[in-house]
Amino acid sequence: MTHLIVIGAGLTGLFAAAHAAERGATVTLVALGRGGLALSHGCIDVLAVEPPLEAMSRLDKSHPYVKAGQKALRSAVEQFLGWMEQEGLPYQGHLEQNLRLPTALGASHSTCLAPAAQAQGDLEGKEPVTLAGLAGFRDFSTSLAASGLERIGVRVANSVELPLPHQASVRDRYSIDLARRFEDKAWREEVARSWKTRLTGARRIGIPACLGLTSHPEVWRDMHERLGALIFEIPTLPPSVPGLRLENALRNRALKAGVRLIEGSRALGQVDGRSGGRRAGGVVIHAAGGPRALQADAVLLATGGFLHGGLVARQDGRAQESVFDLPVRVSGDRTALTAGSPIEAQPYATLGLLVDSRMRPVGARGKAVFENVFAAGGLLAGSDRSSEGSRQGIDLASAWRAVESSLT
Amino acid sequence: MPALSTQLLVIGGGATGLGIAWDATLRGLKVVLVEQGDLGQGTSGRYHGLLHSGARYVISDPTSAADCASENLILRRIVPHTIEDTGGLFVSLPTDPLDYPDAWLDACRKQGVPAEEISPAAALEREPLLNSRLGRAFLVQDAALDSFDLSHTLVDAIRRAGGTVWLRQRVETLHVESGRVVRADVRSFRTGEVVTVGAEVFVNAAGPFAGEVAASAGIALPLALGKGTMVAMAERLVHAVVNRCKPPADGDILVPIGTVCILGTTDTPVASGKELSIEPWEIDLLLAEGEALIPTLPDHRALRAWAGIRALYQPPQSDGQPTRTLPRAHAIIDHSANDGLAGLITVIGGKLTTFRLMAEETLDLVCRSLGVEAPCQTSETSLPDPAHGQLSPTKRLAGFDRDGSGPKPVETICECELVTRSDLATAIERDGIDELDDLRRDLRLGMGPCQAAFCAYRAAGIVHDLRAPHMADAGLVDFLNERWRGMRPLAWGHTLRQMELIRRIYLDLLCTSTAPEGQG
Repeated sequence: MTHLIVIGAGLTGLFAAAHAAERGATVTLVALGRGGLALSHGCIDVLAVEPPLEAMSRLDKSHPYVKAGQKALRSAVEQFLGWMEQEGLPYQGHLEQNLRLPTALGASHSTCLAPAAQAQGDLEGKEPVTLAGLAGFRDFSTSLAASGLERIGVRVANSVELPLPHQASVRDRYSIDLARRFEDKAWREEVARSWKTRLTGARRIGIPACLGLTSHPEVWRDMHERLGALIFEIPTLPPSVPGLRLENALRNRALKAGVRLIEGSRALGQVDGRSGGRRAGGVVIHAAGGPRALQADAVLLATGGFLHGGLVARQDGRAQESVFDLPVRVSGDRTALTAGSPIEAQPYATLGLLVDSRMRPVGARGKAVFENVFAAGGLLAGSDRSSEGSRQGIDLASAWRAVESSLT
Repeated sequence: MPALSTQLLVIGGGATGLGIAWDATLRGLKVVLVEQGDLGQGTSGRYHGLLHSGARYVISDPTSAADCASENLILRRIVPHTIEDTGGLFVSLPTDPLDYPDAWLDACRKQGVPAEEISPAAALEREPLLNSRLGRAFLVQDAALDSFDLSHTLVDAIRRAGGTVWLRQRVETLHVESGRVVRADVRSFRTGEVVTVGAEVFVNAAGPFAGEVAASAGIALPLALGKGTMVAMAERLVHAVVNRCKPPADGDILVPIGTVCILGTTDTPVASGKELSIEPWEIDLLLAEGEALIPTLPDHRALRAWAGIRALYQPPQSDGQPTRTLPRAHAIIDHSANDGLAGLITVIGGKLTTFRLMAEETLDLVCRSLGVEAPCQTSETSLPDPAHGQLSPTKRLAGFDRDGSGPKPVETICECELVTRSDLATAIERDGIDELDDLRRDLRLGMGPCQAAFCAYRAAGIVHDLRAPHMADAGLVDFLNERWRGMRPLAWGHTLRQMELIRRIYLDLLCTSTAPEGQG
């Protein structure tokens, strides 16, 4: 049985670990911290172009989608949808066309798969939208969302500010606190009673995404029944509850599949194999008593990009891969790495590891550095995911391809 | 015909111009001040935060040193709320000239600038992050002075005394009649409207733009403009201002102020007051010099970088001299003596620490030319902290209702600088707020470690609620771009991670780029 070490517990690492374990591998997942899902809307963005799959054929050959292949994307998405159904967090959508969902700024978010509670907010939907903010909650502005939507031609029937029961609090309200409160039936009862009169006539109500954390579908259904109207969620500023729900579901899936999870440990480097350096013998991690060697047949790096530490940018304009010091496509001129506005495409965002068709990081001559080290997700070169709207699709497709490659 | 008449028109709302207008109101003059930007948008808001003890200049510029030493004491008395008495240290590192400290200490004594030697061990006990190989250390009376606080305090004082301050208005032309400047055309950037203001005396305190003001009256004003670049580190790495005990050079100071500390500065000649772009070598130099003082500096996050333009008077004979070696002392130029043009005085150069003295000397000249006899009162007049002024996060923290007993929980909009919803609401209701960046200069919104990642959206929402749509639309992306601009020169390591977090929020989560025109 193959022993695979996955490093990193974001969307890529969790998905890869669960998938490999279900495919029969022995999997150890090493995580320094939590991945990026608390920053995520919880949707699976594939490519914000219509239709997404067709647009993929025009991508550069260094793009992660081209490396992983469309089959990997299709298989990963199918797998993902099945899992989420089984984990009680059903998603809607498909790869043929994007959903258009409202953001908290009233912009349109193109995404292929969305949790059911967000998918109901599809801007192509016929029912008129009522936007509802929550009093005293900073991370969602009803008026910004409403005026933004109106400007892109979405009719907002009404926008209201809904009260929340008074709560003695020593700090500000966060989405995650609210989500936990909504898990309490008595709280929901009280809330629904005070909201109902304010929502008379509303058919489709958009509210900040905070309808439960671990029992979200039940909370959502219950609020729907109590208010007698369709409710959809709009992701808030981080911590973003839909991302956390997805993290919970994938983590549960991985643990049920037998993944062994080591948390709070930094991966330091490779265990030397007896292969003349062509194979990694495993990974050295930082453990409580000091460095510890974990032997493995294969290693999958899912350590993320610059934000999460898989890649580290240096003052001299170069970048490093943080575990194995694998070659990173470099520029050497740091002034050329950024554009003038955060909402423009950024050259630094396309830096990362170049890989072969089996998702193995390669050196300057295109040859795999290690026969048994694979990479997926945010540390792959070739895509500015924020500009493309492709982040989660790349994570899933590359994770699927990397796992398949590591097991054969 | 002038639409409006006054005795004194001050051009420029930096510390110099505001000090002049304040002094004028205390002497009973009718005064109008015109500033082309917002408060703190120019050189005064772009400085390193140091209230000089004078020790920096005892050898290179003894006049400035003595002025700084006396003004330091006066400002501590009259605007204590703008000052944090951090104290200062001069330290020499093994690479610094060995004979400098004794010569420097000697000069301090001669100029009456207090300096007291302490042992390297005592210095390290005070500042544990300092380079442990430091040779000698001296205590001086440096402090941190918040120039945003100071500007607000002065505007408040001027207005309460009956003076007029116009922001975002620019003097376009000075009209000369029979060898005398008699009136100015002032254009509002908001409305495009031009108002003609007549005055008996015009004071040009436009800093880097003083040359343009003089030119609009048809005279030449030789200036040397120097760009100074600074880097703010995201934490306070030192308790006191730390100076290198060596001849003044690039990157010789570290100033703790607010929640950050500032590495300053470079000095590069530039041709115009708008040349604020930052070169990689400046950043590398500042960080290398900072690392010489604080060896662990590269482990800490650099927050942002910015540049300010200092303008010094360059008498014709000093042509070609590097700006750092020009006298730091200010110059007050009476154009009737110099250029045969009456009614115009230019004040140029100097330091924020000496703004009051410059104002006093200018007003002495103004009063003489007006035939008014009124002694200066500024050194004896305390200025109150305006209620809406810049508050330090520590003071803000004390004001928080955090026991949960209040009617509503406090909503913290900017967690880094502890700006609440009600702080924003109060500021938005005041005049002169046109965009989110104005709220930043008023409240420090978005200036802390997260560089507006969280508060830009929240504040835009509140502005939108309170001020109708036009403001949030104009402001959100501009505000983010401005924060981004300060991080770009530092786009690696921790700073790049922060930049990427901002993209995750504003692109991945909010899809800001696909929002409609204006909304962002």
